[in-house]
Amino acid sequence: MALTPPVIGMLTFTLLAFWGIAGWALVRTLRQESRKVELLEDQDRIDTYSPKALAELRDWIERNPEDPLAPKARAQYNECVDALETIDHRFYDWTDQEVESLERL
Amino acid sequence: MAANEAQTAREEWGTRFGFLMAMVGGMVGAGNIWRFPYVMGDNGGGAFVLAFLVLLFLLAVPGLMAEVALGRYTNKGVIGAFREVLGPGGMVGLGVVVLLVNIALMSYYAPLIGWTLYYAAHSLLFTFTSSGFEAEPFMNAFFGNPALMIGLHTLVIASVAGILTLGIRRGVERIVVVAVPALVASLAVMTAYGLTLDGAADGLAFAFTIDWAYLTYSSTWIEALGQALFSTGLGWGIALTVGSYLREYDDVPLGGGVFTAIGESSVGILAALAIFPIVFSVGVEPDAGAGLAFVSLVQVFPEIPLGGIVAILFFLGFFIATFTSGLLITEVSVTTVSEETRFDRTQTVLGICGLIWLLGLPSAYSTEFLDFADFLFGSWGLPLATLAIILVIGWVMGPERLRVLAVNRNAGIHISSWWDPVIKYVIPAVMLFIMGYYAVDEFGSPEMIGGMLVIVLFPLIGYGIMSVADRSAAERETTEVTGGDD
Repeated sequence: MALTPPVIGMLTFTLLAFWGIAGWALVRTLRQESRKVELLEDQDRIDTYSPKALAELRDWIERNPEDPLAPKARAQYNECVDALETIDHRFYDWTDQEVESLERL
Repeated sequence: MAANEAQTAREEWGTRFGFLMAMVGGMVGAGNIWRFPYVMGDNGGGAFVLAFLVLLFLLAVPGLMAEVALGRYTNKGVIGAFREVLGPGGMVGLGVVVLLVNIALMSYYAPLIGWTLYYAAHSLLFTFTSSGFEAEPFMNAFFGNPALMIGLHTLVIASVAGILTLGIRRGVERIVVVAVPALVASLAVMTAYGLTLDGAADGLAFAFTIDWAYLTYSSTWIEALGQALFSTGLGWGIALTVGSYLREYDDVPLGGGVFTAIGESSVGILAALAIFPIVFSVGVEPDAGAGLAFVSLVQVFPEIPLGGIVAILFFLGFFIATFTSGLLITEVSVTTVSEETRFDRTQTVLGICGLIWLLGLPSAYSTEFLDFADFLFGSWGLPLATLAIILVIGWVMGPERLRVLAVNRNAGIHISSWWDPVIKYVIPAVMLFIMGYYAVDEFGSPEMIGGMLVIVLFPLIGYGIMSVADRSAAERETTEVTGGDD
């Protein structure tokens, strides 16, 4: 058996699909960690949800107001809103308009 | 087993890297080294890789996200997390099922770690490249020496206990941040060396030739499914336990899901690259399991230049892979038992490790018993544990609740609603399918009958224990309240 182009192609694909993705995930998560630490040292708190995730949380709370976990969800929502209103530097890609449009629940 | 409120503040991982290495170290085990490469080459090579990759992203990545998120959300071990979701009572016994499966798993995994330790020690003594060495008689003499096997089993359990008594940060984290990179480095060096040998191309061709027809065979998908579920440790309680020590602002889905599932599978790919070029360079037939690690490869070392060094790289890496898994498997029980009882961590570690040592004696004494236990708990115990965890998350906690409350909080990647049906329907259906498949495949065999006993007895035992324990705890609390300050 020899190293045919399909074998080399598959080997390359496998390395990219596994080691490529694992390496990307490792670098990305460690960089995010450094950024979080930097922000926390600077301002003591950070935004805990991305715009999309916070919108989904709000949507869930509005659809499930009587859920036993709704109070906890509201607290987490408000915590993020409070953080966004008080911090100078945000972890997620929030625009000023998005932050201004937020209201506590 | 009442929660001990007087216990001190919960530990946390010291670094993000420590958490990631604990996840990968817990999941990478013997299967990645001695099973995955052969299964890959024997099931269509590249076709198997594609099937495996699809199933990893479909099942293992979302499943691990859910398990880590439940641990992080509750900040508790398996039983405490289940109680938080289910409320006190007998159903919390599903957590006991996970615990029992982990203890059973470690009871036969510890002797296996002993095997790798023995071979690692002999690699350091250059036994495998000494004149007159023969692999098969050496292995048979080793397996036929119960005193040695039990001694190694004892040494492994003592080492695990010694590390776990130091705690999460000073014990587990300190080991995994060194051991996991060392495992990767040893396999990488072995790969680089193997590729320089004549005949290495045949090894690569065995592993990576694409035979598309295999994608139409059910056996390929069953093998890929088993690998995606069992190799990643989904639903064993490891991810939940490791996740429970995450810090407040830590991400779950990127590190606990994507990196863990793909990263640990990458070690299997690297093992294939490390092993097959070397095996094929001397024309030895590829194999799986003990036959590959302890016969085929060992026969190869004297035949290649620098074989003694390659043997050290391989067996030290192999030992690290199994040992770190053993640490984390045991930690599942240690975390939850120390939370649920009045025992401190050291007492719990000694108690759990003592129990595992005792239960592991038959497997240390007889490899036939070990094979039986492996098949029994691998085929039915582990899927049962996975089913317990995924049912609690998917059908009681609810995937959407967990996603908005825990998965996407401080997350490194956003997980949208596609995730919910995967957790609620797809993973449980796949687990039921795989248990049914094994039952039909092994119908009437002692393993199948044993497996059915595990499926029936473990939940009953768990239900009984937690009914009594939580009732006693409630009565104690009532007495304390009525006794009050006055």
